[in-house]
Amino acid sequence: MQHIMDITHGYQWLTFIWWILIGLFVVLYIILDGADLGSGIYSLFNSDSEERGAIMASMAGTWDANETWLVVAGGAIFGTFPLAYGSLFHYLMIPLMVVLWGIIIRAVSLEFHHYSSRSRTIWDWGFGIGSLVTTFGAGVCLGAFLQGFEMTTGQVPTFGGGALDFLTPFSILTGFTAVIAASLAGGAYLRARFDRSTEIYAKALKWTDLMFYLALVAIMITVVWTFIQFSWARDKWIGPYWWAYVIAGAIVLFATWSMRKASREQRDITAMIWLASIVFINFATMMATLYPWFVPGTMTIYDAANPSNSLGAFSYAMLGFVPVMLSYNFYQAWVFRARLHKLAGYAH
Amino acid sequence: MTDPTLMTDLARLDFAWITTMHILYPPLTIGLASFLLYSEWRWLKTDNDEWYRLTRFFEKLFIINFGAGVATGVTMEMSFGILFAPFSQAAGPFFGNILGYETITAFMYEAGFIGLMIFGWGKISKKMHIFATFNVAFSSMLSAMWILVANSWMQSPTGVHLEKGLFLVDDWTAAIFNPNFLTAFPHMFIAAIEIGLFFVAGISAWMIYKNRHAQMFMRTLTASLMALVIVAPLQVYIGDELGRTVAEHDPAALAAMEGHWHTYNADGTPNTSWNLIAWPDEEKGTNTFQIGIPHVLSLLEDHKWVSTVKGLDQFKPEDRPPVLAPFYAFRIMVAAGGILMLVAFWALYLRYKGKFNALELQRRPWFLRAVIFSAILPYIAIWTGWWTREIARQPWLVHGMMRTSEGVSQMSIPAEIAWFIGFVIFDMVVWIGAWYFFSKVVRRGPDMQEEIIHGIQGDGLHLGQLPDRDAPEGRPLFERPAI
Repeated sequence: MQHIMDITHGYQWLTFIWWILIGLFVVLYIILDGADLGSGIYSLFNSDSEERGAIMASMAGTWDANETWLVVAGGAIFGTFPLAYGSLFHYLMIPLMVVLWGIIIRAVSLEFHHYSSRSRTIWDWGFGIGSLVTTFGAGVCLGAFLQGFEMTTGQVPTFGGGALDFLTPFSILTGFTAVIAASLAGGAYLRARFDRSTEIYAKALKWTDLMFYLALVAIMITVVWTFIQFSWARDKWIGPYWWAYVIAGAIVLFATWSMRKASREQRDITAMIWLASIVFINFATMMATLYPWFVPGTMTIYDAANPSNSLGAFSYAMLGFVPVMLSYNFYQAWVFRARLHKLAGYAH
Repeated sequence: MTDPTLMTDLARLDFAWITTMHILYPPLTIGLASFLLYSEWRWLKTDNDEWYRLTRFFEKLFIINFGAGVATGVTMEMSFGILFAPFSQAAGPFFGNILGYETITAFMYEAGFIGLMIFGWGKISKKMHIFATFNVAFSSMLSAMWILVANSWMQSPTGVHLEKGLFLVDDWTAAIFNPNFLTAFPHMFIAAIEIGLFFVAGISAWMIYKNRHAQMFMRTLTASLMALVIVAPLQVYIGDELGRTVAEHDPAALAAMEGHWHTYNADGTPNTSWNLIAWPDEEKGTNTFQIGIPHVLSLLEDHKWVSTVKGLDQFKPEDRPPVLAPFYAFRIMVAAGGILMLVAFWALYLRYKGKFNALELQRRPWFLRAVIFSAILPYIAIWTGWWTREIARQPWLVHGMMRTSEGVSQMSIPAEIAWFIGFVIFDMVVWIGAWYFFSKVVRRGPDMQEEIIHGIQGDGLHLGQLPDRDAPEGRPLFERPAI
């Protein structure tokens, strides 16, 4: 117990560290599952049943762990920022519900597809539609989150608005942006995953070309819209640290150019890594813009955090597991690193 | 204006549905993972091909079950905040912490090894593989432990106090090892082992009944049923302990489970009658009809011939749980547990008589039929057990500290109905799909032709070996592409 007391001295720091870690979990989810979801969306546009099967086989060993980062983020928010967990998730009831339905259908489609024969087409579609619905819903959640929400007044304030408060032109836009960005990530993933001589590789090549330009446009619109609509973002971007955001923007532009170059030269893994770093930097910039808000305009991270005793206990028990979690996930991904042949199926 | 009672009841229904449809899978994951660890260990130990084939066969069923468990489980982690937002906020300092521990030390831990366990054959060494299997078995058990910590704490909330609307933790040890947890977790864990063993036993019995690889499936039938000779009675014993814990910490729940309204008889002596069946009238606060056996109630709860067991008349009507559902759900669970124990004893008797081999068992089809039927009973016991537990603790969300109506999100009725309908559809797809593919895999039976994979094959990188439609004659089925 003495250790827990010691650790609570750094309460403000702990709050900040957990906020950063939750951000890390969320961005890992976006990067890792974004690729899986995006290839699912792509599979909707691929009429070759065997190629769709190969896409599913390519993520057989890793999709569960990738998806689980979302659960880890949810669990860590519950454990460290319960006030945000309760109010934010209640506010996002309907889009989260849709995301969960998408996740259910995608998960069982991935598992059942392998055992099916007559019902195979159903699971093909389940995989594609589940991926699309999950991505769109998650994008809507992100946009709705940036808008903030109404709180009740009282001892423990909670969400005080209506079920449809999340639904605005902005959150719909972020839904579409998420679908396009995931499609790009999915294409990049497929190119890194399949052998260059395969048809699916050639198709993914065309797909990423198209998605690259669409994503460029969609993200530009989202950024400009954010600047116009949200004063908390505008104030940061043209505030005293404007130069930091300019540098971040320049890095993103450079990374985008590098990704495009690597992509044209068919250095597929390099392109995928550049794309991941673009997502990472964008997300980090968003977090910097948000600070000190947990939910912009609604609650700061310090207001949303657990009482010091609980946060201390959580840190004491869990901080050490974060690197462990990262390392066994990396090992698992490493085992399944090989490129796939055209008609590769499950090997088990 | 929304009707608060309807809103609360719908939120309970929404949550009850998703938990009921989730609990179908994780106990089997836990039980079957432990069994797979055993059978893989047998294979490594004896180098007997049959153990390898059995492991791979039950592993296929494990995968289907695991996928269904993940599909329905992600929902759970989000639903506390969605359906019970004020509760999540208030209980966050303890309950949220525990759920966070669960995701980090168990959910992710499991996900980090499941891919290796299922798809790692031929890509990792034998030792690494059994290590992965061990980690999946261990992490799934840890997951159940944390969930039971959180759930039990709501039943017996020790180590906390309410301050400014938050449950602040005074004593972590007391809160984690709360009285209910100490018996509820063993009860749930053994239930998981029992469902895993009866699942294996039921499928093995079916194979022997159909005379398919009967000799081979005798291995799993013997192993599972002999383990059950210990596990099934142990579960009855722990269940009795849990009943006594509930009697001590939540007497209203116990009284509801037993349909026990009157603490004393009309003549002033303690009412020790245990109702075999009854029809409760919650308005009047009594049973309109009952068949009771004297002294059994005090024997069960206190292990004494005569003692006072608190009846529902000791509680204000607004503090009383519903009676009908816990009363019958509890009886169904007990009956299922009892039948399972008898089936295990039947197996022991046959073994004692020296009849426990494929030939003799095939001459006793009723025994095999009973074992096949027993694969369904643990599901029923787990459902009714959880319904008993969750309904009998009403009207409290956190016993004695927070009512269900205080912890529920202020949702619109249409949103709650949409949730219910949506999850009924999607969870039914998962359930029907899972059981359809179970039966498909079982009908197909174990793969006896497939080459046995000893550790890493080739360079350990192959991911598939389906024939290529366009491959010219004479080319190998699989060629490793350049990286």
